[in-house]
Amino acid sequence: MSFLARSLAGPMIWAVTFSVVYALHGAGCALGWDGVSAGPVSLHRAALVGSWILGLIAGLALLLRLPASGGLHAGLPRAGAWTGLVATLFTLFPVLVTSSCDTARALAVNFFIPV
Amino acid sequence: MTDAYIGTATGTRATTDEIKSDAPQRALGLHRELDRTWANDPGWRGQISAVNHTTLGLRFMGTALVFFAIGGILAMLIRTQLATPEGAFLDTEIYNQIFTMHGSIMMFLFAIPMLEGLAIYMLPKILGTRDLAFPRLTALGYWCYLFGGLILLFALLGGVAPREGWFMYTPLSGATYSPGINADVWLLGVTFVEISALAAAVEITVTILRQRAPGMKLTEMPLFAWYMLGTSVMMLVGFPPLILASVLLEIERAFGWPFFEVARGGDPLLWQHLFWLFGHPEVYIIFLPAAGALSTIIPVMCRTTILGYGAIVAAIVALVFLSFGLWVHHMFTVGIPHMALAFFSAASVLVAVPTAVQVFAWIGTMWKGRPDMHLPMYHIMGFFLTFVMGGLTGVMLAIVPFNWQAHDTHFVVAHLHYVLIGGFVFPMMAAAAYWMPQITGRARIKGLGEAAFWTILIGFHGTFFLMHLTGLLGMPRRIDVYPDNPEWIWLNLTSSIFGFVMTIGFALFALDLVLQAWLGPRSPRDPWRAPGLDWAMRLPPPSYNFASLPGPGRLDGGAQAAQGLARGEGLLPGAPRGRREVLVTGVGSARPELIAILPGNTALPLGLACAIGAFVLMMLSGLYWLTLPALALVAALIWVWARGMAQGHDAAPVEVAPGLSLPVHIHRHDTLGRTGTVCLLLADGTLFAALLFGVGFLSVVAPGWPPPELTGDPKLGAGLIAGLVGGLGLGAIAVRLGLRAQGNGGAVLPAAAVAFIANLAALACLIWLAVAVLDDPTRHARDALRGVLAGYAGLHALIAAGMAGYALDQARRGEIAGTRAGCMPAWRLWQDFAAVTALIAGAILIAQGSGA
Repeated sequence: MSFLARSLAGPMIWAVTFSVVYALHGAGCALGWDGVSAGPVSLHRAALVGSWILGLIAGLALLLRLPASGGLHAGLPRAGAWTGLVATLFTLFPVLVTSSCDTARALAVNFFIPV
Repeated sequence: MTDAYIGTATGTRATTDEIKSDAPQRALGLHRELDRTWANDPGWRGQISAVNHTTLGLRFMGTALVFFAIGGILAMLIRTQLATPEGAFLDTEIYNQIFTMHGSIMMFLFAIPMLEGLAIYMLPKILGTRDLAFPRLTALGYWCYLFGGLILLFALLGGVAPREGWFMYTPLSGATYSPGINADVWLLGVTFVEISALAAAVEITVTILRQRAPGMKLTEMPLFAWYMLGTSVMMLVGFPPLILASVLLEIERAFGWPFFEVARGGDPLLWQHLFWLFGHPEVYIIFLPAAGALSTIIPVMCRTTILGYGAIVAAIVALVFLSFGLWVHHMFTVGIPHMALAFFSAASVLVAVPTAVQVFAWIGTMWKGRPDMHLPMYHIMGFFLTFVMGGLTGVMLAIVPFNWQAHDTHFVVAHLHYVLIGGFVFPMMAAAAYWMPQITGRARIKGLGEAAFWTILIGFHGTFFLMHLTGLLGMPRRIDVYPDNPEWIWLNLTSSIFGFVMTIGFALFALDLVLQAWLGPRSPRDPWRAPGLDWAMRLPPPSYNFASLPGPGRLDGGAQAAQGLARGEGLLPGAPRGRREVLVTGVGSARPELIAILPGNTALPLGLACAIGAFVLMMLSGLYWLTLPALALVAALIWVWARGMAQGHDAAPVEVAPGLSLPVHIHRHDTLGRTGTVCLLLADGTLFAALLFGVGFLSVVAPGWPPPELTGDPKLGAGLIAGLVGGLGLGAIAVRLGLRAQGNGGAVLPAAAVAFIANLAALACLIWLAVAVLDDPTRHARDALRGVLAGYAGLHALIAAGMAGYALDQARRGEIAGTRAGCMPAWRLWQDFAAVTALIAGAILIAQGSGA
């Protein structure tokens, strides 16, 4: 891999994971995956968390493959790999903790507007 | 393929350390020889035929400053209207046009062209080359920018300017709520201007990757080049979604294809997604060049070197990527599910980290060095104060609950002005103060610049700091009167008064520039004792930048390097062959690889921009059939453009330095043109991906689906799609066979002829598909999207056929023969791309059919 490709690989893993998770999120809400069970969680949650974990594994594998020293020539790819890994972890962690398809309007209707 | 290193010291491939210096020559003789070759034509002809980057960079920046002044005057009209609660200065219709034009001018006609102009002017000088990779493209970009801008300005003078806000939200900008041509002016005018942005992005990327001085590795190049590389790649990826959105909305308005109209399966949110896919990266597209200027200027002003070079480069890479994951934070209030809000909120917070890395690196550089408070440092201090505040309110707006409260209020107006003026205008003023001696050869007149700085700083914060409060008190954007809200009166009045103070400051700044260029005393050669190659030349710079090009051992630049380079002690001295020659180097290693011969002065870019302008004006006038002759003229001029660089005979290798000769580009496949094609296809691929996003988004999210059943014969449709993809695929095979034949010294003509016919057959299949199978595109958004997918594949097949025809012509003329591959390497890339995208588009068309 060329220097530029190695440097961009980490952020690229984040970009792909982010796009896949966002697309699966939209598709899953539209197709009703939230109501389909896949073991202890919904099919939607399983698809999202599974994609996220795959992205994290890819980012971690890239980080472990890169040499630990060698000036900027090795440092930039490592920084890129760390960027990708941290960004994947931080921007997509909501797949673990938030409701998947509720909107603000739905919440407002459920909690604040008396029926 | 010809060896890149003929007769090197070792007899094999040379490292940059082995390149020897040329013997010194008489500097004046070299100057005359080079100036004859590189200078603009004399007189009025020189005004229309110039392709030189120095001339065009200055034109871009000068024109951008004029538009900045116009946008500023519009801002003053807005502030005058808002100074009192029931202002009668402007009526609502004119007010709407003025705030729309203020935002559009500042974004599309000032900020982007200004950064393009700075890059066009500076990059070749900083990288140690004589011009950008595609000088005619630079000129085409300038004319497209000027003509597109003039269309918008004349519309304003004629009272038909766009009035829907600078982000042109649908359905307000659709035909129902915006009849007339106002919205069309924006869609067509801004898209016309964006041609210049894409042109600049392609050549900036290629120039940085392939035209750095030998020995200037990527890991060692000046930070300004890293910043511009990040910016140009972001432009290649960021602009296509907006171009697609503009094209779709214009098609909806002109021909009734419903992409954004809910009743027929469209969705206004598709516009918002596509717009902000461009719009948020745009903020960083504007900020990164300014940050590049800061990273150049701060170490010089502080008499030290930059702190954390590697960390800054990593931060640039992070910013380039993360900035594409934030766009939905402009849409937090539209009813998006919580989880998606959380993704984009987290990304919006995270992007502050690489920004902070840069800010701390600059602060650390100042701490490490000994800051001299020259005028550029005043503006840099203004940047720190303003941009950090804007960045912090940005983090506030990234938090969803706060965003819901502040959305669409003057708090957001204040935030964006803190970011854009803090992150772009103050650094650009620092850059102007820093590089004006380089541009004009004159020192500034002391005092005026400092007065301008303080007036602008006080005026800016007086205007916009208070606007945060106005927004928190609930004042929405874009209103022209507020008779029932007395609590906003004194804040608005004060903002208006300080707005005029700021305007006086900008007038002083402009006066300072004019006086320096006109009356300033002569500047010493390197007044700041800066190390860059941009100072290793005569001031003001000659048309060719360097009499001989810097190489290993001369990359530190500054005044010390200037004399040796002027005496021809560097590489490729003079212009003994009377051609515009530049050195092309490897992407990572910066090893010299070949010599590119650039085109000379020509009015062709102006002619092509006029032809594109004719197309735009015909669209605006509703004379749609007359767009066809305009497009034919565009195609004919592109053919003439390509013919201008064709060469029917071999070119001898050029001696770059003693013992080092390099082949001319016509004998190589890895030319600048091929790298440029890769960049263009990156942008094209992004546009296609944005179109696929549109297909997916409407199919999944839009109301009004499922659509009516398809009426075309699915078997015939599948057969015609197979014919389309098969024709383009056959063309791709034929190109490869042609290249193999060329490499073996065989005939290319048969392969080019087969590819030409295969592409025409693919096109015929597509036309048949459109006529016999596809449904009326005005029926439903699904049918409109099918029409666009087919149109996209058809346009690419048409261009592929044109390139095959051009290769056929080149083979017939003997221009593709021996080691000369002509247009074939670039054509191969295009042909492959057309085949792959047609395959994807065809698969979607078939899947939609089976789904129905």
